Amino acid sequence: MSRALIAGPRDKLPQSIEVLHELKLIHIVDHHGEDDTFHIGKPLSPAAELSDNLVKLRSIASILAIKAPPKERERIRIEELRQKVLSLELNISEEDAARKKAEGLLGDLERRIDELRPFASIGLPLEAYRGYESLTVIVGRVPRDVSGFEEAMPVAEVFRGPGVVAVFAPKAASEQALALLAQSGFTLVDIPAGEGSPQALLDVAVADRDKWKARLEEIQGRLEKMRERYAGFVVAAEEALEVEVDKAEAPLRFAVSDHSFVIDGWVPSSGFKALQTRMEGLGIYVESGEPQEAREEEAPPVLLRNPKPARPFEFLIHLYSTPSYHELDPTLFLFIAAPFFFGFMIGDVGYGALFVALGVVAAIRLDPKSIWWRILFVTAVGGVWSVLFGLLVFGEAFGLPFHPPPAHLEELSWESFGLFVPIPTLIHKAFGIGDMIYLSILFAALHLGTGYIIGFVNEVHHSKRHALAKLGWFMCLFGLFTLLTFSLRWNPIARWVWDVPLGWFPRMIEPLGLRGFLGVEIPFASLILILGALLGLFESVIAPIEVASLLANIMSYMRLAGIGIGKAAIASAFNVILLQNLILTGQIGFVIMGVAFLILAQMLVFLLGWISAGIQALRLNYMEAFIKFYKGNGIPFRPFGAQGTQEV
Amino acid sequence: MADPLAAMAAAITMAGTGIATAWTQKIVGGATVGAMAEKPELFGRGLVLMALPETIVVFGLVIALQLLTKVAAP
Repeated sequence: MSRALIAGPRDKLPQSIEVLHELKLIHIVDHHGEDDTFHIGKPLSPAAELSDNLVKLRSIASILAIKAPPKERERIRIEELRQKVLSLELNISEEDAARKKAEGLLGDLERRIDELRPFASIGLPLEAYRGYESLTVIVGRVPRDVSGFEEAMPVAEVFRGPGVVAVFAPKAASEQALALLAQSGFTLVDIPAGEGSPQALLDVAVADRDKWKARLEEIQGRLEKMRERYAGFVVAAEEALEVEVDKAEAPLRFAVSDHSFVIDGWVPSSGFKALQTRMEGLGIYVESGEPQEAREEEAPPVLLRNPKPARPFEFLIHLYSTPSYHELDPTLFLFIAAPFFFGFMIGDVGYGALFVALGVVAAIRLDPKSIWWRILFVTAVGGVWSVLFGLLVFGEAFGLPFHPPPAHLEELSWESFGLFVPIPTLIHKAFGIGDMIYLSILFAALHLGTGYIIGFVNEVHHSKRHALAKLGWFMCLFGLFTLLTFSLRWNPIARWVWDVPLGWFPRMIEPLGLRGFLGVEIPFASLILILGALLGLFESVIAPIEVASLLANIMSYMRLAGIGIGKAAIASAFNVILLQNLILTGQIGFVIMGVAFLILAQMLVFLLGWISAGIQALRLNYMEAFIKFYKGNGIPFRPFGAQGTQEV
Repeated sequence: MADPLAAMAAAITMAGTGIATAWTQKIVGGATVGAMAEKPELFGRGLVLMALPETIVVFGLVIALQLLTKVAAP
């Protein structure tokens, strides 16, 4: 990034904004300070009118309920826009008012109908319910018949309709009548206004309602037609206006004096020349400053540049925190590590192929800018690893192993169905728990070690002391790793790592006649390396305590083994139960039921695996690795003129 | 086959640490979602806090495996 300072006479401000907007190269740094000469600029003259039009357009869009952008868009001319927006607003607000009126009336009529209906079924005229001095009138709905009311209260007179009852009782007995009615689940209703036969009133109300309903449908039909006709215009005009408002209000971010303006911002160094040439063509002066010379407190914005396949992973970095300008972008690190862990946890050809297939469907059907496209792309890359692990290491498809494990030849496998895969299985998940755990520790060491190396590179230009601390932590990690490898060397993989790649490692166990440490045999070189954590004192005083947390970080990777085995166990349990008990019985009813259940069960395992492996793969990066080297808190590069930034 | 007592001890370890993690995550998760509703940019930090208690159950897993492999094997 280069700092750019653009200065020119005030009358050239509109042209300058036009050019900068078109170039989409400058990330403007807002001018805040008021001083005697330079003030915050005022919006260009059309700003007020443009904003007014934009507000009107948005209200039109909301009345017409335009949500998705239409396929065809109209070309918009800003000069004609005002007239068009005004006439459209006039048309639509008329229809909208008519619609609101109709909806209000319909609501009133519905209430009136609800009120009148019980009275219509009783049949008494409405005036009969009012105007008594000594009588109280109780009308309400009852879910069950009020049998025996007359016997219990001979002074009262009762009228009945289906589900309705009207009681005329002396005022003194009203409490008693209500208590009796309450036993049948009675709920009181109000007596509607008006006189005459309730049935006749009801008929009028229903006829009115039907009339207004038809009218409302008519209005909605007209609005629907308007939507079809104007959606293209409204969406395109809204976009065009947003751009114009953006331009007209840009001076609010500039420093402006009586006769000149100054724009301060960041430009990618590669684009600086282009910007300078264009601006100088207008007679505007552009000066560059290197980031180091720029004011320290304002870090430059960050534009991530990654190889194409890694780019969809950038959103995962922004989700955590945008990298600061002074550190390495961890996208590539995440691009390699997260799908690898995902693949290791799934470790299944069948599910892996499904993830890849989903990714392909997404690539064809979805918009590359949508969040789902990116999520499915990320899982598809994990799917590729999953196919590799499933094929070459775990020998498994849809939870069913290619070959039965050596000591358990009776177990179900693809061979039981006559499918022979000529690739040997290296690890049977259910029987190779030790292998899985050691591999998790190995991945932890590689992952965290890379993290410390990146941390060292980040810090070396910045603070030598912090860089030294990173080195110390790297040594400590290596010490812990060698110690774990040594103590787990009963496992063949650990044995191989200890003997071959770590063959050079000094394995002196009994120096000075000491036998191990606290009674446990350990290589002393590992102990010395772990003391490297003392270099961490350069970073913080509590560094030695954090050795334990580093050990916890390594342990945390055992979730790779845990989820890998757990997911395989769930899938294999479903397979065994459904295949042996239903499908392989050969009875047609059981077979159909078994196949249906099997498909459901496989979908469940697939989804569970996707969610848990996906979250855990990210978590290991965010939680365990990133905190070793990554600070974030950068400002994403948002050039003036670019619409739709990389926000999630 | 593992010693039945060791197997039960492993099961209790997993259950206990699992419940402890779930309980903690319930509290942290509720607070995190609340905080994110106010400030969505807290997602990263929220996720970190949310994931912290998982360490408990991972330790449980390690102890359980130790019980099953080391203790049970003669």
